[in-house]
Amino acid sequence: MAEDLGTGAENTWCPGCGNFGILNTMKNVVEKLEEDGIGREKLLISAGIGCHAKIFDYLNLSGLYSIHGREIATIQGMKFANPDLKVIGFGGDGDAYGEGLSHLIFAAKRNADITMIVHNNSSYSLTTGQMSPTSEKGYKGPSTPEGSIEEPLNPLMLMLSSGASFVSRGYAGKIEHLTDLIVEAVEHEGFSLVDVLQPCVVFHDDQYQKYNEAVEILEEPAETRYEAMELTEETERLPIGVFYKEEKPVYHEEIYPDLNVVEDKMSKDERKKQIEKILEERT
Amino acid sequence: MMSDIFTYIIGGKAGEGVKKAGEAAANLFSDMGRKTFKMDDYQSLIRGGHNFSAVSTSIDDIYSHYMKADLVVNLDDRSYNIHKDHVKKDGMMIYNSGNTEKGEGIGLPLDEVSGNYSKSDLIKGVTGIAVLSAVVGLEKDEIENLIEKEYSKGVEENLSFAKEIYDLAEEKIDKRFTLEEGNDKSPIFSGNEALSLGAASAGLDMYVGYPMTPASSILHFFASHKKDLQIMPIHPENEISVANIAVGATMPGARVMVGSSGGGLALMEETISLAGMTESPVLFVLASRPGPSTGVPTYTEQGDLNFALNQGHGEFPLVVASPGSMEEAFYLAGEMLDILWKYQTPGIFLTEKHLSESSMNIDVDPARVEWAEPKKFEGDGEYKRYEMKDDGVSPLKFPPSEDVIKWNSYESDEKGITTEDPEKITDMHDKRREKKENLILDIQARNTVNKFGDSGPVIFTYGSTTMSVREAVKAGKIEAKIVQPKYLKPFPFWELEDYMEENAIVIEQSSTGQFASLLREKCNIVPKTVIRKYDGRPFEPIKLAEKIKEAI
Repeated sequence: MAEDLGTGAENTWCPGCGNFGILNTMKNVVEKLEEDGIGREKLLISAGIGCHAKIFDYLNLSGLYSIHGREIATIQGMKFANPDLKVIGFGGDGDAYGEGLSHLIFAAKRNADITMIVHNNSSYSLTTGQMSPTSEKGYKGPSTPEGSIEEPLNPLMLMLSSGASFVSRGYAGKIEHLTDLIVEAVEHEGFSLVDVLQPCVVFHDDQYQKYNEAVEILEEPAETRYEAMELTEETERLPIGVFYKEEKPVYHEEIYPDLNVVEDKMSKDERKKQIEKILEERT
Repeated sequence: MMSDIFTYIIGGKAGEGVKKAGEAAANLFSDMGRKTFKMDDYQSLIRGGHNFSAVSTSIDDIYSHYMKADLVVNLDDRSYNIHKDHVKKDGMMIYNSGNTEKGEGIGLPLDEVSGNYSKSDLIKGVTGIAVLSAVVGLEKDEIENLIEKEYSKGVEENLSFAKEIYDLAEEKIDKRFTLEEGNDKSPIFSGNEALSLGAASAGLDMYVGYPMTPASSILHFFASHKKDLQIMPIHPENEISVANIAVGATMPGARVMVGSSGGGLALMEETISLAGMTESPVLFVLASRPGPSTGVPTYTEQGDLNFALNQGHGEFPLVVASPGSMEEAFYLAGEMLDILWKYQTPGIFLTEKHLSESSMNIDVDPARVEWAEPKKFEGDGEYKRYEMKDDGVSPLKFPPSEDVIKWNSYESDEKGITTEDPEKITDMHDKRREKKENLILDIQARNTVNKFGDSGPVIFTYGSTTMSVREAVKAGKIEAKIVQPKYLKPFPFWELEDYMEENAIVIEQSSTGQFASLLREKCNIVPKTVIRKYDGRPFEPIKLAEKIKEAI
């Protein structure tokens, strides 16, 4: 494990939190990416707001600590500006599947070349455990003392129907598997989603046990989007791995196939010439 | 007949090529070396309704259209009824005898003639240029060039239609207007185009926008110049995404501008505060229309001044400035981008539909615009994103980099790691305040207030209304000193000390007088009269001149 990936910031997650699994996974991911020729200087991270987001302070990687749900848009901006960079967004279920849901759907739709890692614990934990978009019906939190009356979202189904080109699920309790999954997601050209089952030991104290019993590693992705959708409906066993993957044109390359507006920025003189041409054409 | 200012109005239904007809006329005048101002009045609909374009031209500079025209061309009866009072005493009125009964003026069978063409509605707009050509005495063969230039799509049909109308008009019109040729040719641009070119001149790399009138044409401009300017145009799912893509893009160093109207900026406000905290230099264009809420989408108002000045929760340096002409829109957009990058903070370029979508001749030089460059990290020690510096400005470094660069929406330490430490919180507030003070000093050294005229009472105005006031003063031969603050935040009180007299007049397009309140708050200026207009339409110079005279 790359020791120098820590920042020295005090870790304030609860003892036993599923987020530790994701943090340790990320340190492995950076090492593996470096073995594959993707140096950490080329990685940019962002995070939303919530327990998950503290990973921004704990990982010694460059990036922008964003606001609730907007990290999905933040990393797209980074990528469009400089496509040489690899961008990874961390979000909670409240960020990615609630406040920032429209950004997630459209990032998938336009096949933005980004990776979103969703720390899905089915609870708004940092704000004292209110129900989240993926909380089960009947979930009791301070805003739903009699139990949630809403059905949970199926985020993977939503991503598949939004045209996502890489849809996967991992488990914070299976670090080796999660490491390979995130590496594959980052190396995928186009939009990739990794929904991570992240146990919350305070507001969902049965999650470790439940996931340990139910998760089952998928040997290979489904062949079609529809078969993948069926896999997302399974609740008895919880498949983890890549549900679906395909190659599609990438958003920024459709705008500029080989222009990086930051690295290959037009010179001041050339821009001036182009503007003078526009002025001339109107005269 | 010789006319100092010649005004042409063309009206008709949406879908009859009215806007294009106005544009063609403006280009015709401009080609004669004349100065031109064009205002498009259109409704929020796709087909039908009533649209018109008012184009005024003069040998000298002209800052507004007039609503008393030498030539009015109406393509339908609704237009005829609306514009029958807009003809000068010795002006000329053309109407469509195919659908207008008992018209005064000259009827032309537009329906009958256009019926022979494949696009019988759209082609009616060509009437404008055909009649105008006849009225200003252009030869028939000169129309050919005009049509080829202005109506290149379906040029054969357009030319044939234009010639038919020209012949009919020639027969019926009883007088001609002679327009003197000028010798000073300059291009015509809308305010939105001008500000886009100005930002491009300052090194813009990306424009992000979600459609909303009257800002949409900025997005269209950059989309159509994607290849030559190499400024990435992005149209995402909503304004929240727009603003956050912009902030994200500044982190690896892209110079970014975004734009919307009031409703869209309201959605971006969360991110304006994020830009303040992360110290992200995004330029936000706010092109106003009458509010509140959906308001009147395709018309003009200055009701968003306080909204612009008070953007973003929390305390951070914010720059707000508003141009008083298309030319100024060009230079101001460039200057703002430069300032924002120097001080790493967000800014709002405030304008209104009347400037965004009206057009006039501009004479601009991109070489006069600073290429926006930040203070860059050049040391060899440890890089700290929010390093304490005397001027409050931490040097920037862009990825990819061996150094870790962390921008943070939370309060943070110098390295960008989240903090709740009381001393660090205080230090960071002080740093941003220090930065703000230096930003104000920088702006104080610039031209922040325009002054027109040397004697007479003081008239305070700002934004697009400046153009109406300048033209009104000219039209009414009024002696006045027009004072137009270009920067609104920080407010340039240091330039206004000489104008704190008692008889000042304030002119603005707001029902509550927000600009007058701002003058009182910042400079204790209590005007004698506040001339307000809030019907969605810009001031008309002659009517405004009368009001100014009454106030004096």
